[in-house]
Amino acid sequence: MPLSTIDRTEECPPDCRIQRLKEAVQGARPGVCTERARIWTRYHRLATNRRKPAAIQMAEALREVLRGKSITIYPDELIVGNFSSKRVGGSLYPELHGVPMLEDLLKFPRRKTNPLRISSKEQRQLAALIPFWSRRFLAYRAFRSPARRWRFILHQLQGQDYLINESGGIAHLAPDYATLLRLGADGIAARAKTRRKETPEDSEADLFYEAVQIIAEGLARFGERYARLAQDMAGREPDPDRREELYGIAAVCRQVPRHPARTLQEALQSLFFAQIALNLESLDNSICPGRMDQYLYPFYERDVRNGRLTPDQARTLVAAFSIKMAEIVPVFSERLTRFHGGLFNGQVVTVGGTTADGRDAVNDLTIIFLDVMNTLRMRQPNYHARLHRNTPPHYLARIRDILADGSNSPALYNDDIIVETMCRQGYALEDARDYTAVGCVEPVSQGRSFSSTDAALVNVPLLLERALNEGRRFGARRRSGARTPPVARMTAMADVTSAFQAQLEQQISRLVRDLHAVEAANRRYHPTPLTSMLLEGCLERGICSTAGGARYNFSGVQCVGPADTGDALYAIEQAVFKDHRLSLGALVDQLKANLSDEALRAYLRGLAKFGNDAPEADRWTRWVVETFARVLAQHRNTRGGAYVTGLYSVTAHQAFGSVTGALPQGRRKGAPFASGIAPGNGLDRKGPTALLNSLNRLDFSKTANGVNFNLKFDKQTLRGKAGRMALQSLIKTYFRRGGMQMQVNVFDADELLRAYRHPEAYPNLLVRVSGYSAYFNDLTPKMKEEIIRRQLVACGP
Amino acid sequence: MAPRDPQEGLIFDVQRFSLHDGPGIRSTVFFKGCPLRCRWCQNPESQTRTPEMAFYQERCQACFCCEAVCPEQAITRRPEARIDFVRCSACGACAARCDPQAIVTIGQRWPVDRLVAEIEKDRDFFEDSGGGVTFSGGEPMGQHAFLACLLPALKARGLHVALETCGVFTWQQIEPLLPHLDLIYFDLKHMTPDIHRALTGRDNILIQENFRRLASRFAGLRARMPLVPGMNDDEANLRATARFLAVNRHDRIHCLPYHNLGEAKLARLQTALHPLKTDRPTPERLAWVADIFAQEGIHALIYD
Repeated sequence: MPLSTIDRTEECPPDCRIQRLKEAVQGARPGVCTERARIWTRYHRLATNRRKPAAIQMAEALREVLRGKSITIYPDELIVGNFSSKRVGGSLYPELHGVPMLEDLLKFPRRKTNPLRISSKEQRQLAALIPFWSRRFLAYRAFRSPARRWRFILHQLQGQDYLINESGGIAHLAPDYATLLRLGADGIAARAKTRRKETPEDSEADLFYEAVQIIAEGLARFGERYARLAQDMAGREPDPDRREELYGIAAVCRQVPRHPARTLQEALQSLFFAQIALNLESLDNSICPGRMDQYLYPFYERDVRNGRLTPDQARTLVAAFSIKMAEIVPVFSERLTRFHGGLFNGQVVTVGGTTADGRDAVNDLTIIFLDVMNTLRMRQPNYHARLHRNTPPHYLARIRDILADGSNSPALYNDDIIVETMCRQGYALEDARDYTAVGCVEPVSQGRSFSSTDAALVNVPLLLERALNEGRRFGARRRSGARTPPVARMTAMADVTSAFQAQLEQQISRLVRDLHAVEAANRRYHPTPLTSMLLEGCLERGICSTAGGARYNFSGVQCVGPADTGDALYAIEQAVFKDHRLSLGALVDQLKANLSDEALRAYLRGLAKFGNDAPEADRWTRWVVETFARVLAQHRNTRGGAYVTGLYSVTAHQAFGSVTGALPQGRRKGAPFASGIAPGNGLDRKGPTALLNSLNRLDFSKTANGVNFNLKFDKQTLRGKAGRMALQSLIKTYFRRGGMQMQVNVFDADELLRAYRHPEAYPNLLVRVSGYSAYFNDLTPKMKEEIIRRQLVACGP
Repeated sequence: MAPRDPQEGLIFDVQRFSLHDGPGIRSTVFFKGCPLRCRWCQNPESQTRTPEMAFYQERCQACFCCEAVCPEQAITRRPEARIDFVRCSACGACAARCDPQAIVTIGQRWPVDRLVAEIEKDRDFFEDSGGGVTFSGGEPMGQHAFLACLLPALKARGLHVALETCGVFTWQQIEPLLPHLDLIYFDLKHMTPDIHRALTGRDNILIQENFRRLASRFAGLRARMPLVPGMNDDEANLRATARFLAVNRHDRIHCLPYHNLGEAKLARLQTALHPLKTDRPTPERLAWVADIFAQEGIHALIYD
C-alpha cells in the first residue's frame, strides 16, 4: 500500500527527489490553459443546459471539466493531480471576469510583467469564446440597467475610486477539508441525499442538494481517473521502484477522494484533488488549505505510531504536496496585475495557534511544515504562523531563526487579538480559535466562513482630494463626489474632517450598492455547490454559500492609503490651523499645482508622519481607520453578514496612487501610497521600535478583515545572536501590546539592485510584496523600484 | 563659554534600536564633546563641545532662505559649501529656517526630563530583550555633572544603563556615578603613551590609571578597542594590551574593526580630520588578531 510509494526516499538523501520536483516546477514557464474555458463554454452553448437551474448548471459544468481536462502524472511525483494542462498554468473563467480579462489575449506571451505562455492555436480557441460570453459574464449580468452596467465596467477598468474583486468570483475560503478526509466525497453526497429526502421537490434546497450530489460524484471520479492513469503508467514503467510507487499512487487514488482518507498520503492526496476542483469552480484565488498541521496531525500520528511512516518520509510527502501547490498561476490582464501583482494565488497554509479549547496547538507536523517551507522557499503556498501568549519558546525560536535567515515567511498572526476581534464580530469562541488567514491576511474560521474577504479595495486619499475641492477631482469641472463646502468656508479641522466623512459615506454607499448587485449576480448566476459542500452550514440549511448558507458570512472591504490620508490630515492641521504657515485655500491651490513650491513642499515633508512614534501624527491615521470602519459597519451584505474593514492593499496602493492628486503632506500627484498599514514610503525614519510604537497606537479590534504590516530589515541588522534575539523581542512586544499581524522581510538593497539590473541572474528571488511573496522578476518595474526604495530606507543602524 | 546648566546635556543624536552597544535592544545617546582627537574618529561631529552647523549639499534647494536670517553674514554661495565657519556662531537660525534640512544644527540641549522621556519610549522593548540605554559620544564623561543628574533618574525607573568612555576623567567625577551604572565599555586604544598621544592627541597615563581603579571596584567593566589597520593592530600592541588586561584580571576584550562610513561626514563639517587611507580589516586579519589575543589567554569578541 502507500508505504511503498515513499520507500525510495530512504535510498537517496531525503530532499533529492524534492529538489528535482522543485526544479521542474520552478523551471517551467507559466502558461495559459484553455481547457476549463473551452469545456465550460461547450457545456453552456447547449440551450438545454442553459435552461437548467443555475446550481445544476454549475455542478454539471464543473463535472464536465473534471471529466474532460487532460491529466498527467509527472516523474518523481508522490502527490498527483494537475491544476491545468501546463506544468505551471492558469485557467480562464470567461463567465466571471470573462471578456475584460481577455483584453490581453494577444499580449500574454509578450508582455513584460508576468508573461504567460500561450500558443497561437490556444489564442484562437479563446478568441472564439468571446462572442458567446460578451453578454453573459457576471459583471454584465449583475446590472440590469445599461447605464449602471457600463458605469460599473468603466469604473472597474479605470480603477480610481474602488476596485470590486467579487465580480470575478468570490472564492477566498478555507474549506472544511477535515470533513472531506473523514467522510470522503461519497459520505458528503450521502449527507446531501439524506437531507434532500426531507426537502420539497424542486425547491431551491432540493436543487442545491442535487447539485452537491452531482459534484461530489464528479470529484470522486476525478480521483479515479488518476488511479487508472497511475495503473497504466505502472504497467509500462521500466524502473521497478517507480513502478511500485505508481501502483501505490493508483491505490491511493482509488481510495480518495471518494472514500475517507486513512493515511497521511491519502489525506494529502484527497485534499489536493479537492483543491484543484475548487480552483476550477469559481475563481482560482485564495482557496486555502488552512490549518494543515492540525487536521492532518491525527493521520501523521497514526502512521508514525503504526510504523507506516517516519518523520522524514512525512517531510517528503509534505514537500511533494507543497510543490504541487505552486503549479497554479492566475491569468490576469495587465490592468489587473497593477492591483494584484506577482502571480498570486493566495493559497494559505497556517500552522500553530491554539486548539478549540485554547491550549497551544503546536505539534511535530507544525515543525515539519515550517521546515518544508524554509527549504523550498517557493511562491506558493503562502505560509502563515499563529502565535499567542503561551506559544512554546522552541516554536517561536524556530520561526525567528527562519525569518532572520531571510526566508520572508511565515507571516505572523497574533491569536490573542484576532480571536478577541472575531468574537466581537459574532464568532463563537471555539470557531474563532480555529481561524486561519485566507487571501493575504484575512482571518476566517476554517471550514465555517464564506467571507468574501477581498470584496473590494477603496482609494481613501482620493476622498480627501474631493473633500478639499467641493466633491470634484483637482482640475475637474464635473462633480464626482458629494457636495461639500468650499475650503474658503472651512475654518477649523472639524470642517475638513466632516467634508472627508461626507465623501467617505457617499463612496461607501455607492460601493455597497455595486457590491449588492454583484453578490446577487453571484448567487443567481454562479452558485458554487462544491465550495458549499465543504463549508459548515450549507448542507445543514440547504443553502448555497453564495446565498448565505455558510455559518459566517462577512465581506471584507480594504481601506487603502490610511497612513497617506492620516498624514495629509495632520499636515493640514499643523500647516493651516497651528503654524498658520498658509491658508487652506492657498494649500489647495498648491496641491492643484502639484506642489510646485519646493520650499513649501520641504516644509510639509518635514512635518511629523505616521510611523515615527509621534502621537500627534499617529492619531490621525488611527482616526482614518476608525472612521472608515465605522462608516462601513453601517452596511450589511446580501448573505446576511457585516462588511468589515481590512488594512491591506496587495499592490493597489500603487495603482490608486498613480491616479490620485497631490496630498498635503508633500506627496506629489501619482506617487504610490504606502502599502497596507505601513507608513508613507520612506517616511519612517526612527527605526523599528518607533514604528511599532506607532502601529500599537492603532486599534486592531476595528480591523476584523485583517491588516498587512511589513517590518523590513537588511540582512546585516539581523545577523548573529543579537540580531535574532532583537527580532524576537520586536515580535513579542508588538503582539503583547495588541499588534495583529506582522511580516518580516530581510533583504539587502545591493542584492535587489543587482536583481533589478540582471533579472536573468535572479530567477527565484522571493520578496514579500504585501500579504504574500512573489518572485522579484514577476513584479512590474515600478513595484521593483518601490521594493528597492523601501529597502534603501529600511530601518536599523 | 558660559557655564553649563547641569540639568541640560549637549546631545547630538539618540539612536533607537541599537543592537551593538550592550545587551538587548538599546537606545544610544550620543554626547557632544570629546577630549581626544582620534585620527580614525567615526563621529567627527562629536568632537567639539559646542553646537555646530553641518551642511548637506544634496538636500539644498539653493533657495538661500538661510542668507536672509543669518545674523553673522556667514552664508556663502559656493556650490559645495553654505557656511563660512570663520563667521558662523552656530546660533542655529539658518537651520531653523531650512525646510529641506540641508543645514542642521549638530548638538541640542536636552533637559534631563526630556531625555528620560525619549529613552522611556522604548521601555517595552528594553524589558523584553534585556536592553536599556547606552551613553556614547563624544565622551559622556565630559558632561559628568549632567550624568550625575540623569543617571539616578534612570536607575529609579529600573533601566539598564551602560556607558562608553575613552577613559579621560578624574576619579572624583566617575565615583558617584558608579552605583547608577550597569556596564562601562572602556576603550584601550593603544598601550604606548607616545603613540597614544600621536594617534589621539593625549597620552594614556590617566586612562590606564582609571582602568586599573575601575577593574578592582566595578564588576561591570568591559575593555574595548578599535582595530585600526596600521595604527594599533600590530602584534606588539595587541600583546601589550592583552598583558595589561591580564594584570587587571580581565580575560576578554571587545574589538571594533575600523570602517570608513564616518568619512562621508567630513565634508559637511568644519574639522581638521582627514580621511584615513585605509580600509576595513580583512576577515583574515581579524582572525589573526583573535589568535594573538588567544595566545595571551584573552578572548577577543570581534564585532561585525
